Amino acid sequence: MTATYPPATPIWCAGCGHFGVQAVMLGALRELAIPAHEVMVLAGIGCSGTIQNNLGTYGYHALHGRVLPTASGVHLANPDLTVIATGGDGDGYAIGMGHLVHTFRRNPSFACVVMNNGVYGLTKGQDSPTAQEEGSASGFDAVSLGLSIPGTTFVARGFARWTDQLQMLMVAALEHARARRGFAFLEVLSPCVTYNDTYPAWDASLYDLDADAGHDPTNRAAAFVTLSTLGAEGRMAVGLIYSNDTTGPGDVSAHPATQDVTPEANAEAYARLLSGYAV
Amino acid sequence: MNVETRRKVDDLNAMVAGQGGDGSLTVANLLGVLLGRRGFQMYTARDVASRIKGGHAAALMRGSIASRACMDDELDLLVAFDEEAVERGGRWLAEDGIVIFDASDGPVPREHLPTGATVYEVPFARLSVRDLRRDLFKNSLAFGVLTRILSVEDDEAGDVLAQRFGHLRPEVAEANLGALRTGFAYGDAHGLRADAGPWILDSAPTSDRILISGNEAVAFGFLVAGGRFFAGYPITPASEILSWLESALPDLGGVAIQAEDELAAVNMAIGAAMTGARAMTATSGPGLSLMQEGVSHLGSAEIPLVVVDCQRSGPSTGMPTKPEQSDINMVVHGGNGDFPRIVLAPATPGDCFELAAAATNLAQEIQGPVYVILDQAVSQDSVTVEPFDLGAIEPAPGKRLSSDDLAAMTEYRRYLVTDDGVSPWAIPGTPGGMSLVTGNERNEWGHVSTDARNRTAMLDKRMRKIEMVRDDLPLGHRWGDPEAATGMLGIGMEVGAMEEATVRLAAAGMAVSGLQPRTLWPVLDETIEFVRSRERVYVVEHNAEGQLAHLIVSVGAPHERLRSLLKYDGIPFRPGELANLILEGEGAAR
Repeated sequence: MTATYPPATPIWCAGCGHFGVQAVMLGALRELAIPAHEVMVLAGIGCSGTIQNNLGTYGYHALHGRVLPTASGVHLANPDLTVIATGGDGDGYAIGMGHLVHTFRRNPSFACVVMNNGVYGLTKGQDSPTAQEEGSASGFDAVSLGLSIPGTTFVARGFARWTDQLQMLMVAALEHARARRGFAFLEVLSPCVTYNDTYPAWDASLYDLDADAGHDPTNRAAAFVTLSTLGAEGRMAVGLIYSNDTTGPGDVSAHPATQDVTPEANAEAYARLLSGYAV
Repeated sequence: MNVETRRKVDDLNAMVAGQGGDGSLTVANLLGVLLGRRGFQMYTARDVASRIKGGHAAALMRGSIASRACMDDELDLLVAFDEEAVERGGRWLAEDGIVIFDASDGPVPREHLPTGATVYEVPFARLSVRDLRRDLFKNSLAFGVLTRILSVEDDEAGDVLAQRFGHLRPEVAEANLGALRTGFAYGDAHGLRADAGPWILDSAPTSDRILISGNEAVAFGFLVAGGRFFAGYPITPASEILSWLESALPDLGGVAIQAEDELAAVNMAIGAAMTGARAMTATSGPGLSLMQEGVSHLGSAEIPLVVVDCQRSGPSTGMPTKPEQSDINMVVHGGNGDFPRIVLAPATPGDCFELAAAATNLAQEIQGPVYVILDQAVSQDSVTVEPFDLGAIEPAPGKRLSSDDLAAMTEYRRYLVTDDGVSPWAIPGTPGGMSLVTGNERNEWGHVSTDARNRTAMLDKRMRKIEMVRDDLPLGHRWGDPEAATGMLGIGMEVGAMEEATVRLAAAGMAVSGLQPRTLWPVLDETIEFVRSRERVYVVEHNAEGQLAHLIVSVGAPHERLRSLLKYDGIPFRPGELANLILEGEGAAR
């Protein structure tokens, strides 16, 4: 057996929500029995941007904010890989915000896991776009944004402390992507115990949609109403918020990374292109 | 008119100009087809405003029996559809030039033309509307007058029209033929009889050449070298590379994608490249500014990517449709930190094809960024060249590990420190090849590290990769007298004008030796040696700072021997202009 890199020990503070995310990510990969070499985890910059070091899969540390385009490139180059793009709310919703909108729109089949804690932890406590004043609504809601984009096929939100539900959502997201149904977006509320300890607030205010028998995750309009109603009360919903299985694969079937590019295999096509320029 | 006084045309410089978007440039296409059938080699350029419709638009073309790679100093022929076209084109017109002017709205403004010029004032729009009830047919009408001037037989002119418009509906093609006949009738009425015009168009045997632009050639070279992933964002003058690959790649199992911005474009390409696809992105100066962190990241994380920069006039948004070479500093020095990179600079379409292929291979070999830099003229001007040698290109895989290779190893370290600096890598999906890729400094396993000794070893390792390939980097293109004490050095669009200036200087008794460094970074020893072995070298470039001259001085070229010939007005050098500047410079030196 060839020895590859030893998975790292997490750098996070004791009690950080990211531990829950990592455990669930590994659990979901195990549950779906995906071999490590078929998984590529791309992470952004920040505390969350170290999770890929700890897993034993192929891992990549993206430029700040650029996880989604990079993951799109990986997926398009080899759609057989299971791709997880991950990072924090600063990476995903501030410097990388534009890419999130366009990734929803393009609907490439990979999973995206944003660890949202409302704060820049690694740089010691600056506000992020989702920073909350005491008692007010979230500064920015990526789940509502996702719902508003016609191409969106999967949005979910979990809480790092509610690991059973989170693992279910992680598995659902991976299955959605692996079945080539499109972009599976999972936001995880993952508190920063050092700079923005939101465990008590979220424990008290989160609304579990999965426990609501009236919630139909295939009904986009109803999901939007639910989120808006809860938002007006200063609450957030967790669970499988919207999943549309009817959208066809907005996907390519080619594998640019693994195909035969020898001149012999392509001679005819090249000659045809050249003949188009004859004078 | 005596036959003896009629000029035989074997090198025709023409401009067709009017308002953009009204289709008036079609007559340039027709002239191109005619010249192609006569065995002429073409150089075609466009002078357009940065807008879809309206504004001055001109097609410039030079058809020559000899191969040319630039426009000549003067225009022989001006087809002007409005007054502005006369004003802009008139200043370039030769003393014995001919003007075909659309006189529908009044007589030609003569004050913009040399006194000796012959003008045919044709009420194109009026004639075509009167006879054909459509303004659009004025191109075919103009072509009818033009072929009479060139003493081309009416049948041949008709064949050209059929060749160009063969794909149109029969009634449209027939209407164009009617317009052509209206042009002939104008000729009959104004002393331009069939086969007896003032000029006689020469002819030469045709051969199987191609007419192609630099952007198309770059995309083609990348493809043949195994390029299968492209991400880009529309920008003048690079967009043709995106559209060419959007058209060509899907049929070959590749992917071309239009990103939401240049940040996304370079990172999509990075993602595909580290997954094992041979990848490229292309942009121009403003987009490349946005991509700088990506390029630095490629160098650090050791990911192979070709980055094409089709330079346009800067700074900032500059003049989007005009050529410049003012990104040299950015491609050589841009991006944070120290990292290995290669910069190649082609001139002709053949060069673009070869160097794009070379860049695709070099990127795999150094696992890092390789630039191919063009300028707007090289990118968008189309030139007649020999067909590309498709069989000469072999995709180089670089040092990759298969699952079998991995199985035979006891351990796999993605960033293994090696003698040549290259760490063999396994692409994602390879069993046993799990790795960590990062732009942070890291140890051999890919774990982030700020250890001082590791840092030094890692940076040294990365920089060694350039030395590994240095001897394989594309050598420069040379011309002129290799023994000459006077040299001329430049890249991109300067090369064609420099070569032609060299011929003229030789005819005037001045020997000059020319060099186009095709590898711009690292600066090769041959470039420094070229300067050292001459008394004076004129460095010809389109920017205000003399960026190329500064670059070669920075690595050892003796600055006192360099003379910068700079231009940054958006217009390429003409060969006579360069020859005169060098004659002046040499006069001053003596």
